[in-house]
Amino acid sequence: MPATPIERVRNFSIIAHIDHGKSTLADRLLERTGTVAARDMTEQLLDTMDLERERGITIKAQAVRIVHRASDGLTYQLNLIDTPGHVDFAYEVSRALAACEGAILVVDASQGIEAQTLANVYKAVDLGLALVPVVNKIDLPAAEPERVVAEIERVLGLPAGQTLLASARTGAGIDQVLEAVVERVPAPIGDRAAPLQALIFDSKYDAYRGVIIYVRLMAGRIAAGTQIKMMAGGASFTVDEVGIFRPQMTLVDELAAGEVGYLVASIRDVRDAKVGDTVTNLEDPAAAPLPGYRQVTPMVWAGLYPVEGDAYPDLREALGRLQLNDAALTYEPETSVALGFGFRCGFLGLLHLDIVQERLEREFTLDLITTAPSVAYRVTTHDGAEILVDNPAQLPDASQIDQICEPRVEAELLMPRDAVGQVMELCQERRGEMLHLEYQVGDRALLRYDLPLGEIISDFYDQLKSRSRGYASLDYELRAYRPAELVKLDVLVAGSRVDALSSITHKNRAQLQGRRLVERLKTLIPRQLFEVPIQAAVGGRIIARETVPALRKDVLAKCYGGDITRKRKLLEKQREGKKRMKRVGNVEIPQEAFMAVLRLEQS
Amino acid sequence: MIAPGTLRPRALYLHVPFCERLCPYCDFAVHLGGAGLHPRYVDAMALELDTLAETGADPAGAPLTTVFIGGGTPSLLAPELLERLLERVRAGFGIAPGAEVTIEANPSGITSEAAVRWLAAGVTRVSLGVQSLDDDVLRQLGRSHDAATAVAAVERLRQAGVRHLSCDLIYAVPGRPAATFARSLERLLTLNPEHVSCYELTVETGTRLHRQVVRGLVRPPAAAAALRQHWWAVDRLEAAGLAQYEVSNFARPREQSRHNRVYWRGGTYWGVGAGAHGHLAVPLARRLGMPVAPGAAAVRCWNQRSTPRYLAQVEREGQGRAGWEGVQAEQRRLERWLLGLRRREGVRLSTVHARAEAPQLAAAQLVTLDRERVRVTRRGAEVLDQIALRLAG
Repeated sequence: MPATPIERVRNFSIIAHIDHGKSTLADRLLERTGTVAARDMTEQLLDTMDLERERGITIKAQAVRIVHRASDGLTYQLNLIDTPGHVDFAYEVSRALAACEGAILVVDASQGIEAQTLANVYKAVDLGLALVPVVNKIDLPAAEPERVVAEIERVLGLPAGQTLLASARTGAGIDQVLEAVVERVPAPIGDRAAPLQALIFDSKYDAYRGVIIYVRLMAGRIAAGTQIKMMAGGASFTVDEVGIFRPQMTLVDELAAGEVGYLVASIRDVRDAKVGDTVTNLEDPAAAPLPGYRQVTPMVWAGLYPVEGDAYPDLREALGRLQLNDAALTYEPETSVALGFGFRCGFLGLLHLDIVQERLEREFTLDLITTAPSVAYRVTTHDGAEILVDNPAQLPDASQIDQICEPRVEAELLMPRDAVGQVMELCQERRGEMLHLEYQVGDRALLRYDLPLGEIISDFYDQLKSRSRGYASLDYELRAYRPAELVKLDVLVAGSRVDALSSITHKNRAQLQGRRLVERLKTLIPRQLFEVPIQAAVGGRIIARETVPALRKDVLAKCYGGDITRKRKLLEKQREGKKRMKRVGNVEIPQEAFMAVLRLEQS
Repeated sequence: MIAPGTLRPRALYLHVPFCERLCPYCDFAVHLGGAGLHPRYVDAMALELDTLAETGADPAGAPLTTVFIGGGTPSLLAPELLERLLERVRAGFGIAPGAEVTIEANPSGITSEAAVRWLAAGVTRVSLGVQSLDDDVLRQLGRSHDAATAVAAVERLRQAGVRHLSCDLIYAVPGRPAATFARSLERLLTLNPEHVSCYELTVETGTRLHRQVVRGLVRPPAAAAALRQHWWAVDRLEAAGLAQYEVSNFARPREQSRHNRVYWRGGTYWGVGAGAHGHLAVPLARRLGMPVAPGAAAVRCWNQRSTPRYLAQVEREGQGRAGWEGVQAEQRRLERWLLGLRRREGVRLSTVHARAEAPQLAAAQLVTLDRERVRVTRRGAEVLDQIALRLAG
């Protein structure tokens, strides 16, 4: 298949709230254009991971080529790029959008515009994408298409006359959507004779072919045999094959500027093909890489431990397999007095952590304890050494510390005007410093804040969503390390320090945090044979204390011939439950307690 | 724990399910009324006894040393039925000279004549369901007798020549102050029983009491209040010369229940009658048609709980079994701790795990360690089941 003339290529994505019908619309587009035969349709083709389908979120980007004969009689190549949708993956989203010239905005005809939509629309607008608004589900009895069309005009400034009405379920209006993509999304611009510049917007690992790189060509051409080089990563390879997704992988002769597809080049490590990097020719490379590359590095670290110690090798194996597909995941072995052998893992954010944990538990049937997430602190000791601490338990004794620096981010927050006050309040609570406030077109406001990363990894995003009724969006980038008055908050259970429960917190918050933590732990640690004191301490000074009273009574009054089996079975069941707990000294601590530090804010 | 060289249990439990009324707290296998069924029921038990004896017996070798006729209300059986029953036991299994043969009895309806015939039939010990000597409490517990009837019953049993008498007493009755229980216990002591079983009223699922508690109509006393009554009873009974030898059981010297000690030692026993449980050595269980997976250390089996179902099955098949399970070594270890710690003698340390755990429990004053024996302290006795779990590992 030769390359399509660039003026007949259209690259677009679909922006929609979680259940407004993005996947159904995508399915219908594929079906209507004959990309997928109706009989081969499985509901929601694009979300391939079970986890994605269940949570209704997209974790990996997808790209499908649709061939469409338009009303002008010409055949167009339409590339639909599906994007992930969460702040943890904000960078991946921005790269996927950067591969497009336009976006279909899907809004439910009865629900109207919702928060998630708005945040992504802002992003698309900032990247200069043409928008094609579509009011979907017009066949439903509760549909109010006129109201929603008016709302789109009012909130987003998109003229009512441009909004299309459709029902992805019945297929009504689908042809008009395809026409609008052809008419309104601009053709890409790119010099096919220039040196290769291909934007990597995702990659995945295939056990047989190695890494499959998803690319959008901005300039030049690529074919099997092309010698390529990653401009940021530096590694070079020879291309084995290039192809497109229809939606299954289909070989093509070449990809040229403007087109979207994949390339395979015997790459064994996804970290050699990072999202945002530019692929160019090894010989005669492009003068400069494409803008916007960002080294994706873990922002958050947490310990992952198997509930049962002998599953440690399985956990290592599973992390290795996950990492093949996930360049952002890092791990290295660590030990905990309380939890035994495990791994310190680095993540993009809490959702990423959550997804990794869930995939480990589900796909590898592991039973895991996750410790409270932490950021990496730079600690200078009195003897002048600087160490990086991503595990609170490893913070040196306060007497040895000269200074602790915490990572700060510059956060960009977009929200409707009326949420500005609430969002500012949240940022102030989290020791933020305002850099900039700007009221923009329509209803939107932009806030820039300098915030400690440690303050936004826990529940900041949830808080932001709830205080702006879901409408605020967040993007952040690591800026600098700055000294801060931080202390280590230790937890002592029955007098022994439990390393896995330590956290690093601001001096002024330690008291409150310590109090809430011990209160929470008291509710999570079941009564035992002994009274269990739980204490929070800063530098050896106890700042809060609770006590789990001893179990008052557990003895059967009558135990004769017929009672024995029943009682034993009851105890056996309890014993099973105890196996899922970690024993620290004399105390059995359940799995959930180790997450208490994290869940503190939410409780 | 099974005496070497013997496969055959030397203890037998016989269950007589009949009751004149249902006590709201009771979760035993009971059958309301059904006096007309008594002969048929005794015949069925006789049939079951014969089947067990034929397959598993060795009449010359090892006669029974304890028999316990429990219920339900076995004292409802006419003396001639009881005679017939014990006759069959003797014929099939043998009863050793000096064996302990206990019958449970309800205070109402006890006559000296009946008691005389029990003794003649071989009964050596009577366990009397006194429960309380306070009329209001007895009414609340749904019992058919009042305090005066209970006192009179003791007198009649004594007249008939019963020399080993045990009385049941219940404490922690909802809404009743400790003083009410204390008065009952004091009155009971004046009757001079050789043995007392003193139980906390336990709310068992499936009982009427349980339903009342769930609906909030009845509130059981707090754990601390129940324990206060328990320890007071222990002190008072000990002071009266009835030594605590198990969590809920107290006896004068040489008056401990040998039958119940078989349970707590982890020994084997036959179970005959509706809902009765048995505990058998593996080869014997196999001979009786209960295959178990290799590795089982013993077999626990149980009969049909419903009387009509039990009758129908025994009459059809000669046995009334509803199910059984092989007890694996690990489960047996848990049972050993669970049961053994209930006894004053305690349990001998045998596993590496227990050896490592016991000193920690001793340091927390939950158990005492005397050479190789672990015994619960008073505090330990309150949470005994958890200690068993901990020591069993």
